[in-house]
Amino acid sequence: MMLYALWLLPLVGALVLWTFGPQLKGLGGWVATAFIAASFALTVALFGAASQPNPGSFDGVSAPLVTWIPGFSLGLMLDPLSLLWTLVITGIGGLIHLYAIGYMEGDRAVARFFAYMNFFVFAMLTLVLSDNFVGLLVGWGLVGLASYFLIGFWFFKPSAVAAARKAFVINVVGDVGLMFAVFVLFKATGSAGYWTVFEKAPTLPESIVLLACICIFIGCAAKSAQVPLHTWLPDAMEGPTPVSALIHAATMVTAGVYLVARCAPLWSHSADARELVGTIGAITAIAGALLGIVQWDIKRVLAYSTMSQIGYMIMGVGVGAYSGGVLQFFTHAFFKADLFLAAGLVIHALGDEQDIRNMGGLRTKTPFAFWTMLIGTMSICGIPLLAGFYSKDEVVYQTLERGHPWMYAVAALTAGITAFYMFRMFFIAFFGKNRAGAGAAHAHHGSLPAWVMQLPVGLLALGAIASGYVSIGGDQSPWFRFLAPDFPAADNVPIYAVPISDGLSTVLVLAIVLVGIGLAYWRYGTAAATADASARLAREAKSQPQILVRGYYVDDLIGALVVRPAQAAGGFFGRIVDPHVVDGAVRDLAWIAGVLGLFVRRLQNGLVRAYAIALVVGVAGFLAYYAFAGVTK
Amino acid sequence: MSETVAIANYIGLSAVIFFIGVAGVLTRRNPLIILMAIELMWNAANLALVAFAKSWLNNAGHIFVFLVVTVAAAEAAIGLAIVVIVFRNARNVDVDEAASLRG
Repeated sequence: MMLYALWLLPLVGALVLWTFGPQLKGLGGWVATAFIAASFALTVALFGAASQPNPGSFDGVSAPLVTWIPGFSLGLMLDPLSLLWTLVITGIGGLIHLYAIGYMEGDRAVARFFAYMNFFVFAMLTLVLSDNFVGLLVGWGLVGLASYFLIGFWFFKPSAVAAARKAFVINVVGDVGLMFAVFVLFKATGSAGYWTVFEKAPTLPESIVLLACICIFIGCAAKSAQVPLHTWLPDAMEGPTPVSALIHAATMVTAGVYLVARCAPLWSHSADARELVGTIGAITAIAGALLGIVQWDIKRVLAYSTMSQIGYMIMGVGVGAYSGGVLQFFTHAFFKADLFLAAGLVIHALGDEQDIRNMGGLRTKTPFAFWTMLIGTMSICGIPLLAGFYSKDEVVYQTLERGHPWMYAVAALTAGITAFYMFRMFFIAFFGKNRAGAGAAHAHHGSLPAWVMQLPVGLLALGAIASGYVSIGGDQSPWFRFLAPDFPAADNVPIYAVPISDGLSTVLVLAIVLVGIGLAYWRYGTAAATADASARLAREAKSQPQILVRGYYVDDLIGALVVRPAQAAGGFFGRIVDPHVVDGAVRDLAWIAGVLGLFVRRLQNGLVRAYAIALVVGVAGFLAYYAFAGVTK
Repeated sequence: MSETVAIANYIGLSAVIFFIGVAGVLTRRNPLIILMAIELMWNAANLALVAFAKSWLNNAGHIFVFLVVTVAAAEAAIGLAIVVIVFRNARNVDVDEAASLRG
């Protein structure tokens, strides 16, 4: 019962806001936040029940939904893995809702905004609470829809509409991949429920498992912005900043990580799938980090860092380090939401200025944003004692343990690049003199107290510090014992002996990170660098390598390979096929009917007596026929 | 029982009357005459029915004749009504002139 309630409360909130939005006025945001908070409270109340599964099974709290289709039983389920996601979705989601009350104050359509936000939470809960692939697919599509609504929330901006459409189309590519995965699994096992499929997974031929994994991963790659389906994520920053924090950092884009972790029994039975997913994750991690170096929009820096961090998670769950990859999701949800919301504070204070070249000197102007941003930046870089350190260390070392030395090298290098571009953004935005032009003078001055926006950021900053502590203690930590029931198959993945110890690896990665921070400080943070920052940054903007500025030409490649052929095909169909073939067939049919009518209309001469003759002749004909038939019989 | 008439005579008379009716419908242009001709055809059928009923000692034929008479009366009423309407609209009751549905 509580499970239904925690699942449906956000939907109720969305319906209330859609229906009574104009009447609620400024209260809309508080109503939406209250619904999410209630959902979060129920999740916490269910914590004990869901986190103590029977050994060796996935039992948690479950609730049936559809039981009347023979052979199918679709339902909801709260086990440790989905409990974790639900906590993040409703907990961090609730904080972001609270923040958004301040951020969206004064917007004309604030009720619509919160209705979409609540709807997103409902969709995301559908995704993670489903106990079968069909419900998952429904949630998968709904979050894409919610994401489309929210990216295009400011629909009067053409760029926002284009970004929303792009995100939706690329996500549908993933949806189709996932749908085929469901087909494959259903054909092979006769069920769409997780547990039936996973029980039968060891008996399936490896090629089937690999095919299913590839199809699943197409869905994950689109949703989680993995190469080459990543191009929608930076564009998605057109949405309001709370949306970027909630959907495009903390929750929706990690759905791919959830799915790979959920399908751990499949991945554990296919070494090729592990290799593939780990490789894509590693490529995404370093590719996103490199792109982060050349961005000037503060939100695009964070978007590429999200892409890169999700690369880490995917790499982690891909190589079989499920708990480690999920830990990276958990800490990332805190520090990335913290970073986005702190960036939102800056953007808000500067009157919607997002270009870090026009910032500078914000340390004194927005001290709260400065400190929370510093915590988030240090956490993402993996500074010891902050959350990101524990998760990144776990993922990086696990790649080595699971026998992928080159992924380890990429991950370690990416850690350094991450440190460089994050602190580059940090130094440019917060150090030196204020470079804001005259246009950025009109900051938002809402009537709400400052704590509405500062409290969520502060709490998330605390999470960015402390959320990694759950994993202290290695295999015996609360974290690993909590998740162990979900990953019984993790033991199938072989663990190799490695030449360097965990501690040495940590020191090595930390050294690379410090080099990255040092380089960033040397280029952007020193007194000499900040003195003539405007000129230096303008010079840098001119000399950036084109391949990075254009995002490895992936957009151009997709444009050349997909968009333009599709446009050409559309033109061909629109100019040739439709008017000449489709319309032509209809026109010809009409013409034939007309010509036939010319003959047939002669019969309709209006003379009653002519009709009477036809009648008589007809009757006579019938009589003659039956007379002869009678004779021959 | 008086002298019986052979069934063939009844049927022959019935056929003759029927074809007189058909000829009337096909050749006359006055709708009143056409209605009368149709009435001839009805009654030719009635004659055949009673003849067979008498010959086969089955009263269904007699009963059916009453039905036919009723329907024929209704048909005549409707037919005359149509004729009146046509006359009101066209000041003319020639069936060949009432050909406005010509294709």
